[in-house]
Amino acid sequence: MRFIRYALPAARNFAPALGGFSRSAWSGLETEIDRLFETAVGGATAATRFPVDLYEDKANTFVRAELPGVKRADINVDLVDGVLNITAARKTPPAAEGQAEQTVTLSRSVRIADEVQADNVAATYENGVLTVTLPKRQEAKPKKFTVEVK
Amino acid sequence: MSPLTNILPGFNRTSAACGDACAAENAQTVRPAYKVNETTDAYTVTVQLPGVAKDGLEITAEDGQVRLVGRRAWKTPEGWTSLYRETADAAYELVLTHDDAIDAEKIGAELRDGVLNVTLPKSEVTKPRKIAVS
Repeated sequence: MRFIRYALPAARNFAPALGGFSRSAWSGLETEIDRLFETAVGGATAATRFPVDLYEDKANTFVRAELPGVKRADINVDLVDGVLNITAARKTPPAAEGQAEQTVTLSRSVRIADEVQADNVAATYENGVLTVTLPKRQEAKPKKFTVEVK
Repeated sequence: MSPLTNILPGFNRTSAACGDACAAENAQTVRPAYKVNETTDAYTVTVQLPGVAKDGLEITAEDGQVRLVGRRAWKTPEGWTSLYRETADAAYELVLTHDDAIDAEKIGAELRDGVLNVTLPKSEVTKPRKIAVS
């Protein structure tokens, strides 16, 4: 199914924000909705996106990504400037003989809080789900001090 | 797949119709992404079931229907707080209706890395036959 977007009258695009009746009260929302649709269903974006979950416990932050049908060797995880990038290549065997192998590149970036020990990041892949464990830095862990009352 | 079901996973849900026991456990199920291919002697169904292990998968074939239920093997460990979720914990359920031209005895399934491949061989009766003219 294809989405056909309405072509807005050009006049509306140039109308001043607060002037006259030419600008619909909803126009801001319309653009916002259009933008959302574009990111959610727009062509290549939707096909190469995969769902991601974020968890944390006392010592770690966890990122879980659903990546079915990808070999471990084809998954790339890197952490650059507090952004975790997950890139994976899904190789589908040819449907019929004589056809080439199909490769789809999937990628997703997740912003992670800064307090991560970047050199201790670990990742496991099981049943088509990738789990990345990002240990928190010592100073980021909540410290508990018990004060003795005299 | 309709774009609407891509955006709102809730639109994808069908109620589990596998008895009271199943309904009590979790009434909501999610329809997984799947693809059907046809070759000369079989249909192959590729279903994406991330998070499902072999034990949690049930495939039943009856009355012109192939029903597939996959329960997720992973549960949130204790002490983990979810900060942001895009996935659901609900089980996957997929019901495919066919015209009984499938050999139910020879259905084969293989689960690897969260992708299930089901082979539904066409029954001998419906295959094209060459008739020798005498």
